[in-house]
Amino acid sequence: MHQTHRKKRHHVSRLALAIALGIGTLNALPASANDRLVELAQDPANWIMTGRDYNAQNFSEMTEINKENVSQLRPAWSFSTGVLHGHEGTPLVVDGKMYVHTPFPNTVFALDLDDPGTILWQNKPQQNPTARTVACCDVVNRGLAYWPGDDEQGPLIFRTQLDGHIAALDAETGETVWVMENSDIRVGSTLTIAPYVIKDMVLVGSSGAELGVRGYVTAYDVKTGEQRWRAFATGPDEELLLAEDFNEPNPHYGQFNLGLETWEGDAWKIGGGTNWGWYAYDPDEDLFYYGSGNPAPWNETMRPGDNKWTMAIWGREAETGLAKFAYQKTPHDEWDYAGVNVMMLSEQTDREGNARKLLTHPDRNGIVYTLDRTNGDLISADKMDDTVNWVTEVQLDTGLPVRDPEFGTRMDHMARDICPSAMGYHNQGHDSYDPERELFFLGINHICMDWEPFMLPYRAGQFFVGATLNMYPGPKGDRQNGLGLGQIKAYNAITGEMAWEHMERFSVWGGTMATAGGLTFYGTLDGFIKARDSDTGDLLWKFKLPSGVIGHPMTYEHDGRQYVAIMYGVGGWPGVGLVFDLNDPTAGLGSVGAFRRLAEFTQMGGGVMVFSIDGEGPYSDPMVGEYIPEGEDA
Amino acid sequence: MKLFAYSLVAAMAFAAPALAYDGTNCRAPGNCWEPKPDYPERVEGSQYDPQHDPAELSKQGESLAQMDNRNAWRVWHKQQTGEFQYDVTRIEGYEEGAEPPAAE
Repeated sequence: MHQTHRKKRHHVSRLALAIALGIGTLNALPASANDRLVELAQDPANWIMTGRDYNAQNFSEMTEINKENVSQLRPAWSFSTGVLHGHEGTPLVVDGKMYVHTPFPNTVFALDLDDPGTILWQNKPQQNPTARTVACCDVVNRGLAYWPGDDEQGPLIFRTQLDGHIAALDAETGETVWVMENSDIRVGSTLTIAPYVIKDMVLVGSSGAELGVRGYVTAYDVKTGEQRWRAFATGPDEELLLAEDFNEPNPHYGQFNLGLETWEGDAWKIGGGTNWGWYAYDPDEDLFYYGSGNPAPWNETMRPGDNKWTMAIWGREAETGLAKFAYQKTPHDEWDYAGVNVMMLSEQTDREGNARKLLTHPDRNGIVYTLDRTNGDLISADKMDDTVNWVTEVQLDTGLPVRDPEFGTRMDHMARDICPSAMGYHNQGHDSYDPERELFFLGINHICMDWEPFMLPYRAGQFFVGATLNMYPGPKGDRQNGLGLGQIKAYNAITGEMAWEHMERFSVWGGTMATAGGLTFYGTLDGFIKARDSDTGDLLWKFKLPSGVIGHPMTYEHDGRQYVAIMYGVGGWPGVGLVFDLNDPTAGLGSVGAFRRLAEFTQMGGGVMVFSIDGEGPYSDPMVGEYIPEGEDA
Repeated sequence: MKLFAYSLVAAMAFAAPALAYDGTNCRAPGNCWEPKPDYPERVEGSQYDPQHDPAELSKQGESLAQMDNRNAWRVWHKQQTGEFQYDVTRIEGYEEGAEPPAAE
């Protein structure tokens, strides 16, 4: 009854209505876990995975909050997580509950949307504090995953922990159902990535390329925690898990034995390639997509070769883990352009007029890549800013980036004014795509660097970086005053054009969210949530949050009202100087200097802030949630 | 000055093929790396030899095998008893490094 009531009051677009009708017919069929998640995602009352649904568009069909009334957006309620440090990712909302994750020690909270003042349950794991010492870039965590349950097992919430564990929690009670070891902090291997549910499997990535960790992705059975498959980013083909027809449509990308041949000796065993970014999934192709990270160490001279398959966009079969295609964006990385960024799926018509199933990926290296997600064909590869200089162009026919040797790095040489910096022109932020406007809303960094490598030994469990960096604003920023480190742009992947762009004081680190109300929301490091006009980029509204933002906004409907929620709590790589009180500009892998002004605008925090029109919400009736002594009527 | 400019041009002309590690000269599909001018094709034995200790390089693989083994016992125990037990030393029959008995 409640659900029907919600639906009636919700302002749905025609597209949403069509989708809703589609669900109606699907409901009659026995639904697999995939279908259940797809179905749940289509209900605006839910936000059940990172990126909202398998397309990872961070797009909502809701129009209740729109260009006309966004100026009336006010906080409805808030929640402090009780911990400081970087708050990345976004909460999940399902079945009238909000699930909130935190940085270390990675406590999970469940809140009742009818009375969010009451914490339904909390699950706080005991972790070895040593885990904190091998985290390269603050003790962040990017989110939770949800599995809707079946006849045997109720719904589950999945959490990764910094100390390397993947845990399944009962979504109703918060009790731990199982815990498995995925990563060992004694070798510098940690977990910050959000788990991701496909069918009856939960995918877990990896972190630690700054400590020489060889990257891998693992699938576990949601109910038992049993390992289904594991695929590495470097080494022998059988450990890369390649399909027999791997890269057959694009043999020039490279095919077999390259996980060994593009390395000298055993260097691949400590070759990085971890994946700590985001996933997307196409149920029709049964392919999921993600990017592998940078090779180790940062000192390029110590690892001759293309270093495959680090820095690659992967299309893998969910069922088997077998790779159907991989495209290496940055062969032989020299800048730490860890290629783990967001994958956003769309259906668009290419320049030749063919309808294509696409994947768009704004990479650290300053290029936005768009591939045909069925076979890996390269469709476009545009610079997200004209100041990118390590590469002159990406040849679409060969797929090769044409490097400018002047901006490469090498031993016994200090390279200067390389753009982007190691922090990339785009980092971990989860962006959005508006399917009606066919625009990607990109939260961009504008940071360049000087870089000088040095020799160092590998000792398991110790940092294995081998480079000293100085970072500063890009050419369009204010280098004198250390400001102008970010941009936000609306990008068309087919034409390669930017519909609009604006500078920001600091990097737009947390990503964006777009709605059918014609709005693009995002949080800023200096502590605002902002809403821009998706057509013009005009700033229509903002609110001063308690602390800077490094997560992405989300939206959901509850009791017929649209809410926008965002986590605040500055941190992550840009916040390292502020969080750990560092002053040497080269400390924090070079980020301390770049973000030396950040502390003038924000301090640490940690929580969720929820907005609605006029701040209406569960406590608009002040008696909701009040203490009522026994024997008295409410 | 003139002489300098001339020698610079000459040097550039000579060095041209080596200068260009631009990533487009491939020895095989997917294998396009080249050493930069004055840098070695192989680092082993050069001044840039990382001299990795094989014992250090094998630690990650060993650690994964051990974690996978403990996980296998945890899965096995839950299948046997319906209860989850993280601490493998509290799992009856657990033997470090040994495979859990085949599922019944």
